[in-house]
Amino acid sequence: MPLTTPWRSRALTAALLAAVLTTSTACGDDAPGTSAGGSIKIGLLASLSGTYQAVGTEIRDGFQLYLDTHDGKLGGRQVDLVVADEGNGAQTAVPAATKLLKQDRVSALTGIVGGGSVAGVTPVLNETKVPLVGSNGRPELKDVSRVWHTSYLSDEPGAAIAQHVRDNVKGSVYAIGPDYQGGWDELRGFTDAFGKIGGKLANADGKTTFTPFPATTNFLPYFARIKASGAAAVYTFYAGSAAVDFVKQYAQSEIKDIPLYAAGFLTEGGVLNAQGEAARDIYSVLNYSPDLDNAENRAFVAAWKAKHDGSPTTYALASYDAAAVLDRAIGAAGSDPTPEAINTAIGQLGQIASPRGTWQFSTTTHSPVQKWYLRQVRQDGRALSNTVVGDLATVGR
Amino acid sequence: MIAVAAGTNRIDPYLIPALDGVAYGLLVFVAASGLVFCFGVANILNLAHGLLYAIGGYTAAALLDGGWASLALALAVGVLAAATTGVLLAGLLTPVAAGNHLSQALLTFGVALAGGSLLVAGFGPDNPQVQVPAALEGSVTVAGHRYAAYRLVFIVVAAVLAVALYLVVRRTRAGMLVRAAVDDPEMVACLGVSPARIRAGVLAAAGALAGAAGVLGAPIIGPGTGTADTVLLLSLVVVVLGGLGSMAGTLLAALAIGEIQTLGVALLPSAAPFLLFAAMAAVLAVRARGLAGRWRTA
Repeated sequence: MPLTTPWRSRALTAALLAAVLTTSTACGDDAPGTSAGGSIKIGLLASLSGTYQAVGTEIRDGFQLYLDTHDGKLGGRQVDLVVADEGNGAQTAVPAATKLLKQDRVSALTGIVGGGSVAGVTPVLNETKVPLVGSNGRPELKDVSRVWHTSYLSDEPGAAIAQHVRDNVKGSVYAIGPDYQGGWDELRGFTDAFGKIGGKLANADGKTTFTPFPATTNFLPYFARIKASGAAAVYTFYAGSAAVDFVKQYAQSEIKDIPLYAAGFLTEGGVLNAQGEAARDIYSVLNYSPDLDNAENRAFVAAWKAKHDGSPTTYALASYDAAAVLDRAIGAAGSDPTPEAINTAIGQLGQIASPRGTWQFSTTTHSPVQKWYLRQVRQDGRALSNTVVGDLATVGR
Repeated sequence: MIAVAAGTNRIDPYLIPALDGVAYGLLVFVAASGLVFCFGVANILNLAHGLLYAIGGYTAAALLDGGWASLALALAVGVLAAATTGVLLAGLLTPVAAGNHLSQALLTFGVALAGGSLLVAGFGPDNPQVQVPAALEGSVTVAGHRYAAYRLVFIVVAAVLAVALYLVVRRTRAGMLVRAAVDDPEMVACLGVSPARIRAGVLAAAGALAGAAGVLGAPIIGPGTGTADTVLLLSLVVVVLGGLGSMAGTLLAALAIGEIQTLGVALLPSAAPFLLFAAMAAVLAVRARGLAGRWRTA
């Protein structure tokens, strides 16, 4: 993997951009986003402010890392990356995406943290016929003809870990999560799959307990019910500050010895530092872990650590992979990589090598068919980190 | 709704939520007493009260490092910062006629919005984490159940604060002057005490209480973008439930809120989102006249 210093690649980008600008003005109008000089315009939309700033920053940095380690090129063409702020949701995301698609006329769009933002942006994509290679939020969509995701569907983590929980927990499992769309999907993924293979929920009425979101900051009343239910394990999904509250209070509660299984976001990234010792021994399911043992991952983690503190998260990985997908698709789209040609090429990529292991796009959902890993929070040097302890199911449809 | 696993005692599972309700209730009491104090005793409607709590919370998040010294420092800084903000508010309120609640509400609400934005600008949009002293980080066993050590200690500290507050208002000269200033401000002025100074003193004391609640309560109601609103809302519910007449009413209302938010949620989890306001509506429906009477004389 050719490694250039950021300065050299930036200088190169600047020089090439200058050349491109002069030639493109001379050549007149070309197809949107491309020019005769061999450059291509890509739009990246991510939350660089607001509640999801941490995730948005990882997504931007993941994409940038791929460019920096590939001479600033995708598919042999110099990339002009236009970054825009998604903000907190569709309200800010749609105007920003509209600018990228209509004014900057990018050839492809990537990023997008929130599922609501993706749903809001999709009509503009269809209008301008530009593909989205999203790297995080993936809502229920009727039409995915131009929408691709390198992340996952919200119900997949739960579905992937259900068999493991069924095999390893002697007794019923208590399911609890936040009361909003993401929480419903995450928990439904687990409870549906768990029920199908004969697992029994410990919840009083056999249904998942949903806590008001984001109002719930005190989980003790719920822990008392879990204790009373006689559950042998707990399955949950929380993210952000709710994840920190849940884990910290769990470790101090009377159910602290009941094994805790969770969708990986409970202990992913910055929240793990905030949880500290309280997070030790928690099992989680995710499509990535920085300690996976393969050549792509070793190179990815090394390149990431050279530029950032700490290990890369699944968010950064998904964005890195979005760049890899665009790299191959633009290369395969021929001498004139129009947005339509890129979209067609993405559909024909087949297997994609990635730090998470090889995966491919599902033909029906346009999201990855990928392997999921069981991780446990363990000591890694001085810090706690998510350590892979086993492979789980390959999920995707 | 008491559908718990067979074989266990029916009361036993609810001991911890009930205990936690006391901790939560006492926190709400310390936080809300400043508002009740301002509104009931000095007749100032201070909608920036939640901001004063948030100042204490952010101070705790910024200064606490797991040691006892940092807790003492955070408490001192938080109380001082919130009390100073209270005095500034009193200064801003000087041109507003006493008892003009609409002008007071508009002015203090504006301060709350601006102050909230300043806190977010200074400390970032994320909810900062609070590190309690290492000795209180763990949990202790209460009647066969595990409970967070910090919350248990908090119950004791908050109870001491409540008693101290009662003694100050009832038994000291400062408390008597404040109560006198409400009944007959002109007579107090004749005694040589400026009403403006009393107003500043009351807002400073209210700020100090909210600041102390913010620092000590940060591990329970932590600092964040919604903290000021949450605390203001809970404090106003305390005013509605407990009235402005007595500290006992305030304490009772705060404890009721604490139990509704914990024991109530444990008993009726499906009703959790609206339990508090359903209880408030029920109290108003039954006791509306009595509460309305108190509001008028406030």
